[in-house]
Amino acid sequence: MERCCELHPWLGDRDRLNELPDVAVVGPHAPDIRGHDPLSSLPGEYDHEQIQYPDNQGSEFLRKFHSGGHEGFEVAWNEAQQPHMPPNFQQRDNPSLFSTFDQIYDGVNAPVSRWEGPPQNILSGFLHQFVHSNQAGIPFCPATLPVMGLSQRDKHCIRDRSSIMARHFFADKSDDYINAQVNALLHSLEIDNDLQARGPPHRRFPELKQYWNESQGAAKFEAPHAEDRWVAEYDQFRPAEGPESWANSFEQQYGVDSWASQFEQEQSQVSSLGRMTGRNISNIAAMEQTRMLAETLAQNEDPKFQNSKFLQFVSKMSRGELIVDNNQVKPAVPSQSSGWVEEFDQQHNNNINSWADQFAGELPHTENAWIREFANEQQQRGNTEDQWVNEFSKLHLQDWGDEFHDQMSKGAFGDGPTDHWADEYDKFLEESLGPVQKPSGSSSGIYVFASQNPYVGHPNPLKEGQELFRNGLLSEAVLALEAEVLKNPDNAEGWRLLGIANAENDDDQQAIASMIRARDADPTNLEVLLALGVSHTNELEQAAALKYLRGWLQHHSKYGTLIPPGEPDVLVHADVAGYFNEAARMAPEDADVHIVLGVLYNLSREFDKAIASFQKALKLKPHDYSLWNKLGATQANSVQSADAIYAYQQALDLKPNYVRAWANMGISFANQGLYDKSISYYVRALSMNPKAENAWQYLRISLGCASRYDMLNACDTRNLDALQKEFPL
Amino acid sequence: MPVFKFPFHGYSVKFSPFIETRLAVATAQNFGIIGNGRQLVLDLTPGGMVSPVGFDTSDSAYDCAWSESNENLLASATGDGSIKLWDVASSSLLVNLHEHTREAHSIDWNPTRKDSFLSASWDDTLKLWAEGRMQSIRTFREHSYCVYSAAWNPRHPDVFASASGDCTMRVWDVREPNSTMIIPAHEGEILTCDWNKYNDCVIASGAVDNSIKVWDVRSYRAPIAVLMGHRYAVRRVKFSPHSEGMIASCSYDMTVCAWEYRAEDALVARYDHHTEFALGVDMSVLVEGLLASTSWDQAVYVWQHGTDPRAS
Repeated sequence: MERCCELHPWLGDRDRLNELPDVAVVGPHAPDIRGHDPLSSLPGEYDHEQIQYPDNQGSEFLRKFHSGGHEGFEVAWNEAQQPHMPPNFQQRDNPSLFSTFDQIYDGVNAPVSRWEGPPQNILSGFLHQFVHSNQAGIPFCPATLPVMGLSQRDKHCIRDRSSIMARHFFADKSDDYINAQVNALLHSLEIDNDLQARGPPHRRFPELKQYWNESQGAAKFEAPHAEDRWVAEYDQFRPAEGPESWANSFEQQYGVDSWASQFEQEQSQVSSLGRMTGRNISNIAAMEQTRMLAETLAQNEDPKFQNSKFLQFVSKMSRGELIVDNNQVKPAVPSQSSGWVEEFDQQHNNNINSWADQFAGELPHTENAWIREFANEQQQRGNTEDQWVNEFSKLHLQDWGDEFHDQMSKGAFGDGPTDHWADEYDKFLEESLGPVQKPSGSSSGIYVFASQNPYVGHPNPLKEGQELFRNGLLSEAVLALEAEVLKNPDNAEGWRLLGIANAENDDDQQAIASMIRARDADPTNLEVLLALGVSHTNELEQAAALKYLRGWLQHHSKYGTLIPPGEPDVLVHADVAGYFNEAARMAPEDADVHIVLGVLYNLSREFDKAIASFQKALKLKPHDYSLWNKLGATQANSVQSADAIYAYQQALDLKPNYVRAWANMGISFANQGLYDKSISYYVRALSMNPKAENAWQYLRISLGCASRYDMLNACDTRNLDALQKEFPL
Repeated sequence: MPVFKFPFHGYSVKFSPFIETRLAVATAQNFGIIGNGRQLVLDLTPGGMVSPVGFDTSDSAYDCAWSESNENLLASATGDGSIKLWDVASSSLLVNLHEHTREAHSIDWNPTRKDSFLSASWDDTLKLWAEGRMQSIRTFREHSYCVYSAAWNPRHPDVFASASGDCTMRVWDVREPNSTMIIPAHEGEILTCDWNKYNDCVIASGAVDNSIKVWDVRSYRAPIAVLMGHRYAVRRVKFSPHSEGMIASCSYDMTVCAWEYRAEDALVARYDHHTEFALGVDMSVLVEGLLASTSWDQAVYVWQHGTDPRAS
């Protein structure tokens, strides 16, 4: 309805209503702002608010944003236009808050309460603090605020936006830090940071993973086109897929070890930090936070950041010059109040030079090289500028613009022709997609056999393949197993092992394709269903992953009854996770159930839960190297690279020729900025499998980041001897 | 050059492609976390900047774009997901396009097919719109996290790029069913992208890793330039319409920077006139070297490249 409206005269007005100077000024302790509706007399206004905010409370709240504190929007507007305003902070939304600061700095002794006044004002000031807490990388102090009367919609809005935006202005901080900051804000506002919150984006690896696989899929899809040079070229050079590709085997290995309890302990420390709430932070913790804040502040060299009044405030507080007493800020020892200024100046002066030096040191030194390289390339390419666009347009649709202009020239303007244009587009899309059958996800599901296979004609390729796989000769094993399934296409075991070998050999597309064939041959094979669930999770294909994981439970002799009969139209993650949690209660000793739960929580990006599940499974199966790799990959995803390295090390102790784990170690080190260290691990991985194109790419990046330009040539010429000599492990 | 103060926090500034003294500024209350928004239209006059028209929005205004076909048509992307088209001449809302289910964060008008524009949203999608249509023509779903920015190619009417928090930049051709290129351009969230106005194969990206990278889409395995110098996340990059190698950028480090990406010492100028996160920067197409920037310090500055923005 809203989107269809054309020129409703009230539409603009509706938007403006929130901005009208409010007639009712809400006092500092408005008894109940919820029942208060000062604008209800405006004709039609109520209805429109209803459209906007199903929850009427929200509109009430927002409407009063200007009413409290300011005299109204126009006043604020005029204030902002005044010339000769001090450059900063005077024209804030919350003048009272900052005048408080000013008073404190000016040595005014009178204690001033901070969080008083109309809720809208307090919220503005509070959000202000939150936003500015980045400037010195300081933890944001939770506070006890008066009841805000925020509606659910407002709360969701604050929660989601602060979560997303905090990841931009706290980008240099860890996820734990960011979560703590956001939680401090949300808890102070009594907003539950529940599971619906927009979490952090998953970081580099899953994205790369999906990206590489997609491009791989695209390359296959478009292979017949001769002009797809860039795709082929790209495919050839594609660097590693993500390290967490853990569509691996699930051998039955049992045993118990003591590492897990240690892990859980660390884990609980981490998560308790993340769950920090306004309520349970004692004064001591608050002081500690303030101290840390001040330390970080001292390290931040930018004079502008140091001039921030909020940061000065915090710095003062950390030295005990200000105290929070019953939610009031009071100068503790006013006579000391000039001390911080000198200290600031000192820090400031000391740091100017070092900052400049540091900056000069950070400037990239490689620019010359690439500029020359680029200039050369440019010359070689000559006049090919349009080529890449033409290459895109493989479907050779009649240009949508021409068509549109044709219709325009016929004289009609308005919905008619443009509708037609869009219809045409839809039709085209349908037609062009129809014959090729749009792939549901990135996995095409068609297994591509090697063109030349020495094992074709082998008397027992399955046995040979199993042997090669056990010895870690994955590429050879893949060939032998391909020979097997070419000979016996209905051999589920052959397809399954081929899938596992492909997965360990860094090829999830082929792994999925083999597993799908294995499932066709044996639709109830649990290992196959589980492997398919894992592979699709790697591909971030939630619906497919849920389908297979549900199937696993359905066909399991023990847990089949947990699944309600019938196929649901849409699988909901929470339902499937619920079934598995039920299964885990039934059989807490079944490692597979915990593994699937871990996979499921990876799917929903609940990495803490995923890590806990894998750790439970590892207690039952401590010798499962692929499980250690899963744990490591999950920890890497949740930005716990240090823990991930420990997990990968476990995997390597169990399977020293696990090339992928060596490379993953390198990636984890590189992720922590330890590029020197990462190089040795990449080199080790490459010495075991020089064909690992991805690892070469990662190695090149790390060499660059570690300023080892002297070894770039060895990398480009694939001189493993020189690299191993230079970077022993 | 002039400065203009307003009560909200500045998110985006855009020069009019028709009137050399006119610009639009998208602003939001409470840093865009909660509250209202206001879409400003500003005119440069000998006596400073004035605001002949402003439009209030019920949620934050995160970005704006001038129509390339009608000098009075202005579009805003707002926090409730709606795209609003304003008629500046009559000070009225023309159309409210509400399809995005989350915050609409970026909007870009097609400079070559001047009746169409793109929006990017935190609902992970981009939408293609056309003047005169009440529904979007197409929705582009591929990104797996918020899409922060969309930018049309300056030369090819069907080609655009998107920057997302999923750490990829994607290049699209609207005639194709899927994106035609996926560039994992940064290790962190990518907040912005823009095409070179002289070389239609060159695109720049800016991200939370503090870097700006310049890419050639014909060989995008590695960037052709990495511009380091910002100390916090890069919020916006913009190629100059007048100088082939020049890029303007703004950042959460509160500065606006000018770069010559092909030069050895790429950083040309650093402007530190803002006192809060700098979120919007633009370069005038009509006046060479004229820059504008806006920030959460509730001000927009307009100045000539090479001069001090604060000097009046």
